[in-house]
Amino acid sequence: MSDTTPEAAPSPAPTPGGEVDPALLEILVCPVTKGPLRYDRARGELVSDSARLAYPIRDGIPIMLPDEARQLD
Amino acid sequence: MSTPPSDPMRVFDRHLHRLRRDRAAATVGQVAPVLEVAAERLLDRLDDLTRRFTRALDIGGRGVVAPLLRARGIPFVVSMDLSARMAALSGMPALAGDEEWLPFAPESFDLVVASLSLHWVNDLPGALVQIRRALRPDGLFLASLPGLGTLQELREALASAETELRGGLSPRISPFPELRDLAGLLQRAGFALPVADGEALPLAYRTPMALFRDLRAAGEGNAVLARDARIPPRALLPMAAGRLAEEGGAVPVTLRLLMMTGWAPHESQSKPARPGSANARLADALGTEERSAGEKPGGG
Repeated sequence: MSDTTPEAAPSPAPTPGGEVDPALLEILVCPVTKGPLRYDRARGELVSDSARLAYPIRDGIPIMLPDEARQLD
Repeated sequence: MSTPPSDPMRVFDRHLHRLRRDRAAATVGQVAPVLEVAAERLLDRLDDLTRRFTRALDIGGRGVVAPLLRARGIPFVVSMDLSARMAALSGMPALAGDEEWLPFAPESFDLVVASLSLHWVNDLPGALVQIRRALRPDGLFLASLPGLGTLQELREALASAETELRGGLSPRISPFPELRDLAGLLQRAGFALPVADGEALPLAYRTPMALFRDLRAAGEGNAVLARDARIPPRALLPMAAGRLAEEGGAVPVTLRLLMMTGWAPHESQSKPARPGSANARLADALGTEERSAGEKPGGG
């Protein structure tokens, strides 16, 4: 089941980090573990639970660099 | 004496190179004509194929490659660069990513293009394996790199000037691979039907300083880890420049493009037959008598 239908309701507040192309989100994985990512829309981050890292999104561009990611504790 | 990098696999300072690319995002338009010619030479190979591609990854295309791919009718083109600013020049979708840490699920693309962008990668074999995995079976990988001989004129001019000024040498131009290394690299990375060939792209600059400015504008400043961290002697560039220029002041510069083509393996591709699987004798087909070459397997 996916909740990312193309006609997803526009969110009232702009997403932090900007909107990421849904087709790009579908193929991104964590560069360190190659595990799946979780899109944290509220923070504008792509979260890798397996690596305990959160990759930032800036102006709709995911920053998939391990040394730019936020460490999760 | 400077300390050598601890890991012999690490030749380049990736962080510094990222900063260079970030800064160059504002100036790379100045060198777009050179990048476009190089990209067109590479993408010529696409035009020779009847295959159509639908999902492409552009690695380090600096705003030049993605539009050319879209112009060829490829509907989904993702651009990746070490620098987010540089990636943004290509239009969306774009991401910041490292060739040594590719962030894509297996079989995400049917085409990967890296035009003049893999020469700052430390672990090229590792990057190639990751690229192959990001390709669907029968997907195509196309790449060009500056090869050995590129900027040779500049390398020699800098070396002779520096030897004279300092009595020693430090690496000021990136080491470039040789053509014969590349097909082997592709094969080791698991690509089928690997091909590597070279083309020379002769350029002429009006002045040596224009060449230095272009290299900087493209984000191609020295990021070799073993580089001399001291500020170069003030006389180095002018002296090297003096040695570069020919009569009339023009500066010949060679860009030796190495092109790599490889396919993600697929059962439809032609493969060599297994040894011993033949069911007819070569000697019969040739109508000659079979003669032993005197070599027997197993040391017989």
